[in-house]
Amino acid sequence: MDIDYSVELPVVEGRPALADIERVIARPMEEKPSKKFFIALGITTTMLLFGAVCLGLTFFYGIGMWGNNQPVGWGFDIVNFVFWVGIGHAGTLISAVLFLLRQKWRTGIARFAEAMTIFAVMCAGIFPLIHTGRPWLAGYLFPYPNQNGLWVNFTSPLLWDVFAVSTYFTVSLVFWYIGLIPDLATMRDRTNNPIKKTIYSIFSLGWRHSHRHWQHYEKAYMLLAGFATPLVLSVHTIVSFDFAVSVIPGWHTTIFPPYFVAGAIFSGFAMVVTVLVFVRTIFNLEHIITLDHLEKMNKVILATGMLVGYAYGMEFFIAWYSGQDIERFVFINRAFGPYAWAYWIMVSCNVLVPQFFWIRKVRRSVPLMMIIVILVNVGMWFERFVIVVSSLHRDFLPSSWGYYKPTIIDFGILIGSFGLFFTLVLLFTKSLPVVSISEVKAVVEGAQPSHHGD
Amino acid sequence: MSENKENISSPKDNTPDSNYWKSFKELYQNKSEIDNNASDSSSIDDLSSSGLSGMSRRKFFALIGASAALAGVGCSDYRDKGEIVPYNVKPEEITAGKENFYASTCDACTNSCGILIKTREGRPIKIDGNPDHPVNKGKICARGQANILNLYDPERLKEPLTGGSGFYSAVKWDKADKEIQALFAKANSSGKEIIFVTHTITSPSLKKVFDDFKEKYPTTKVYSYELFNSEVKNSAWLKCYGKGNFPLINWNKAKIILTLEGDILSSEGHKVETLRMFTEKRDVSKPKDYSRLYCVEGDMSVTGMNADYRLKLRPDAQFDFVMSLLNEIVIKKNISNSSVSSILSAKLNNYSLKSFAEKYGLSIKTLNFLIADLIKNQGRSIVYAGNSLSEETHIATNLLNEIISSEELYNKEKETLSLQKLSNIKELVELVWKMKSGKVGVLVHFDSNPVYHFPKNLEYESGLKNVETIISLVQLENESSLYAKYILPINHTFESWGDYKTRTGLISLQQPVIAPLYNTRQKEAIALNWLAQDAAKYQANFYYEYLRSRWEKEVFPVSLTQLDFKDFWNASLHDGIAYQKDESKIAFSFITASLADISSSPKKSEGFSLLLKESYALGDGRFSNNGWLQELPHPVSKIVWDNYAAISESSAKELNAKTNDLIEIEVNGQKCELPVLIQPGIAHNTIAVQLGYGRSKTGIIGVNVGHNANVLLSKEKNSSPWLYSNVKISKTGRTYKLISSQEANDFDNTLTKDAHIKREIIREGTVEEYKKNPAFLKEEKKEEKESIYKVHEYRDVKWGMSIDQNKCIGCGDCVAACNVENNIPVVGKDQVEKGRNMQWLRVDRYYAGTSEEPIVSHQPMLCQHCDKAPCEQVCPVAATTHSPDGLNQMVYNRCVGTRYCSNNCPYKVRRFNFFNFRDHFRNGIYESPVLSLLHNPEVTVRSRGVMEKCTFCIQRIMEAREEAIRNNVPLKGSDVKTACQESCNANAINFGDINDKESEFSEYRNHELGYYVLDDVNTRPNVTYIAKLRNISSEEK
Repeated sequence: MDIDYSVELPVVEGRPALADIERVIARPMEEKPSKKFFIALGITTTMLLFGAVCLGLTFFYGIGMWGNNQPVGWGFDIVNFVFWVGIGHAGTLISAVLFLLRQKWRTGIARFAEAMTIFAVMCAGIFPLIHTGRPWLAGYLFPYPNQNGLWVNFTSPLLWDVFAVSTYFTVSLVFWYIGLIPDLATMRDRTNNPIKKTIYSIFSLGWRHSHRHWQHYEKAYMLLAGFATPLVLSVHTIVSFDFAVSVIPGWHTTIFPPYFVAGAIFSGFAMVVTVLVFVRTIFNLEHIITLDHLEKMNKVILATGMLVGYAYGMEFFIAWYSGQDIERFVFINRAFGPYAWAYWIMVSCNVLVPQFFWIRKVRRSVPLMMIIVILVNVGMWFERFVIVVSSLHRDFLPSSWGYYKPTIIDFGILIGSFGLFFTLVLLFTKSLPVVSISEVKAVVEGAQPSHHGD
Repeated sequence: MSENKENISSPKDNTPDSNYWKSFKELYQNKSEIDNNASDSSSIDDLSSSGLSGMSRRKFFALIGASAALAGVGCSDYRDKGEIVPYNVKPEEITAGKENFYASTCDACTNSCGILIKTREGRPIKIDGNPDHPVNKGKICARGQANILNLYDPERLKEPLTGGSGFYSAVKWDKADKEIQALFAKANSSGKEIIFVTHTITSPSLKKVFDDFKEKYPTTKVYSYELFNSEVKNSAWLKCYGKGNFPLINWNKAKIILTLEGDILSSEGHKVETLRMFTEKRDVSKPKDYSRLYCVEGDMSVTGMNADYRLKLRPDAQFDFVMSLLNEIVIKKNISNSSVSSILSAKLNNYSLKSFAEKYGLSIKTLNFLIADLIKNQGRSIVYAGNSLSEETHIATNLLNEIISSEELYNKEKETLSLQKLSNIKELVELVWKMKSGKVGVLVHFDSNPVYHFPKNLEYESGLKNVETIISLVQLENESSLYAKYILPINHTFESWGDYKTRTGLISLQQPVIAPLYNTRQKEAIALNWLAQDAAKYQANFYYEYLRSRWEKEVFPVSLTQLDFKDFWNASLHDGIAYQKDESKIAFSFITASLADISSSPKKSEGFSLLLKESYALGDGRFSNNGWLQELPHPVSKIVWDNYAAISESSAKELNAKTNDLIEIEVNGQKCELPVLIQPGIAHNTIAVQLGYGRSKTGIIGVNVGHNANVLLSKEKNSSPWLYSNVKISKTGRTYKLISSQEANDFDNTLTKDAHIKREIIREGTVEEYKKNPAFLKEEKKEEKESIYKVHEYRDVKWGMSIDQNKCIGCGDCVAACNVENNIPVVGKDQVEKGRNMQWLRVDRYYAGTSEEPIVSHQPMLCQHCDKAPCEQVCPVAATTHSPDGLNQMVYNRCVGTRYCSNNCPYKVRRFNFFNFRDHFRNGIYESPVLSLLHNPEVTVRSRGVMEKCTFCIQRIMEAREEAIRNNVPLKGSDVKTACQESCNANAINFGDINDKESEFSEYRNHELGYYVLDDVNTRPNVTYIAKLRNISSEEK
């Protein structure tokens, strides 16, 4: 292989004209949705509806409709929550951290990843509310002044969650919106439809592409990127505190914060790759979201996958090293007990499967990477399942050991959350530019002023 | 403040105010004083007249009106809570919010314990033992506790019914009674028999009713039966001692106890009394006075679970065992002088303990300890043979007891009485013959259910078809009432009068504590009304008058009282008991002739031996419609809502069967399908089955729960009705899921094996060890661990509990008491399967050792009210907090139900309302309006989505606190008794103030054997467990 590392590879392939970029990206919004779109939307809304019915049954009858029981107080509800929060990690990482690190290749995927972040956090946000026995009282989780002098318990990690997730959601949304403003203005300028025009006009906040606007925009964007960066670390750190702060063996470990963050990036990237592969083909964006992009993301997946694998190993080492009998038992039980099947699904999907990304051909092969990233998604869902369920089902007193079996309602709500996610993704592709027009224009070859004449 | 007061009391000037005035006081007070006055009164709630809102009164009312209208419209759909009607005229005795206690007698079994019924605003809500009762001394069993649910059973018959073959219509009492009277007259005149079938008659007044009945209708016959009884044993005693009642045993004087298939701690004899006496000898403060319990049994019983030494032996080999043991003891003791010896030597020659032990794999070492103990503790040891064993085993046991002089342990002042001998199988066969040949005119099922209870091959059911008229007196429809022409609903015990006499020297009274809930009458009154001239002139106090006059004539004269009758009656009602003069010195002299019948050579015992046992919770099935009892885990197997065929692992291997496999058991042509349960500790080739399940006709709760194994009973002559040999077993290939409240123990898994010991959940020692070094448990003194949270100091009362595992036998009575006290819902088998039982208090059972020779430990587990409670840290809404007196509290109103607290509880004692279980269970049967009468009004009935757990009976603490405040005395730890503590027959539970170093509780709290479960987690619990001491032989290492 002869790659010349001294030359930066073009981020956008084929030197497209700036107008072409704009046209390609804007096309989905300017054309009538195709039949395929409606079929896809039909599928996702059906999933969503199924979830809604299952949720309705849960609200009507109670949490008993789920598989949760006495030792295993949390099941799919919290597994799904952590899973979706994890998915929501890639967006901010790509748009904020890579922005600060001046990674130009992020431009092609940042918008989409951010949108996925927001949708994923929306999916995640549902679960803390619906997992409560009395969701109509979920307002109690917020500290609001009241006559009874009741206050929330600030020592509870679940409360930290409320703040962490809502802050993360707000900042991500604002960041995403700020990035959208120039593109909204572009869309406003392109459309003749009066309704669209009004909507785009309102949301583009009077953007006129003036220098002054750009100057303010760049400042604001960078500040927000700086603001969002610590959140990437904090959200999943705090989510991991839900477990790490408890006394339950298998939960009570200090490795959780970095391990959770690595896992979140791992699963988030996998999800972004999963969706982008479709998006770039369907909307003919192969030259903007190139194989190089995908390969880079696959490298991140490989790296974080190994971090996660390290964490798995370290957990076992510490369990042995601690000399704690119960701690040791919990980990051996995890790997060889009744939930061994879940554990080994997790290990093979998260640690073994990504190892194929060492091979360049695999990294650059769309079908192979599809298989791998989907398995990673499955594996990461199982990681949360293993952490939540296998730690709880056999804790201190053997008398209260039990087994957790999810019900159809549990699966229904999981499917519903995917339905919600993909419905939102589909609607997004038809209403907003899935790739940042202005940013891509800025990184296309020849867009930058050159002082060397080449 | 004080200045202001002075101002008011001395107005300075009396000039009238020019403003408007409302009173002279206001007129002559000056303005500043009014202001002062206002600020004085409002200083409490931080208001001052100057700081009041400037809003005008009119505007304020306008706003109030508008918001009220808005609220009225917006909330018009608000649920109507119904009317609350206060007492217009306050009844005497009743103060709203204050409970009343009435002494009465329990009729849940034939032991007739004295009970105290707690009523609130006229409705019974809780049953406890009557502390004044000399036998049960303030304690009762789980069935007695849960009996209250039967009173409020929504499916009780509410109206007399008439009809037949499945179609019934309501009928007026008068009409039914008149028709029945005519039927009696017709039967009597045509010479046909009138038959009453009843359970054991324990009431002398009821017996008199029957006598009166016989007088009026001479063809009347009364048959009484009991599914489980001591008739075999009684007949052995008749042969050995010439009296048909075996004596009461002073268990608290016994040093060595050997039980042979005798479950003295759960089903045989007077359980409550036995348990109390037995555990008196398990007192850690007197380690020298410990008794030693040997158990030789086939099934794994509650007694066996608590034995110091347990030998497993198939039940049909017990006779050989006793004979071999006799032989060995005779040899060892070198008996030659007694008259018994000559017969003995002839009988015993063929028995050898050594070869017996080899044949059945009994430990020679343990047997040697046993023999040494029996010989050494002459007069202080006793051998007890279970009711299910054969007559000759009982005779042999009696002989053994003679040789070791056990009669010193027999109670010589008191004995049990039977008012009427139970009908034996011969009499029942005759009854069926009479029924079949049309000689029975009227047959009354007098609160009994023979169709379910009688052996199938007695053909009682087909006999019923030839009886002209059948009348069933029942609370709930049952298998027998299906054949009845008249189904008459009867009162529950708590709605009835009655008296009971089951022991000499004592008679107890039963009084109604609530008016009949439905159009029911008490069974005795129904019978009396049938005797009356005009059945339409029924009075509710019929039986009361009858009872009282019998007491005046028959009881009062022999009573030990100096009072006149009226006072005596009132005193007896108040106490629930009256003492009588019929005590006598009871003497025992062994009749050697009784030995003639027993066999002199060992028997062959082959194939499977089947032992039929009484259901631990449901008795003979009478309580099968009681959800609390159905859901009470069996103390040994922890199975709920089912019976099963318990077999050993080795037998299961031979049969190639697993737990939950359905097998068919065949005895003498009678077949029954039952699911297998592999029960550790059960003897090889032994099947133990509980009866009382598989009811085909009862309420919705009990119907078709478990399998009806009564069909295995046979009328054919057998050594005992409950014990069969050569039982055939075949696999059906189908399965049936048994549900236990605890995961099955895996003996072979090295990972989980003995986890309770490794984790120091259960800590044990031996009596010897303790005698040598009382502090052996705390050898390695652990340092107090640090906590990142500040340690809170409790200066006032701080509540704590101690549980003495030496006394606890794991019976589960405390669980039943807790259920009643704290309005615990029934969740049903499907929910227990999912692990959602709601019992706040559970008894954990652990096995160590091997499946064949398990060592059993048990531990009541409830909220530990940890000082550093992990649940409190993690609740996001602070719905679980700590009280100033050291309680971990649940605030139901605040709980949103995240279940985080439950996850973080190392003891897993928190219970979550996954559903509104009252609504979810059996189509909401327990949400029937009548059930709201049952609930303890001091305890919130929790809704769905809320976490709950043991509160240390905070309602009782608050009551004691209020009482202390009222009396202006400091609250003491001993003022409060929790429901579990009150119900514990063994007095294993102690409750009190940790800060009171003088109290009895403090001794337990700071006991050298005390430990905390999961001490390492540093939760600092307020429940102390006292380590169990096993009284094994000092020669054993």
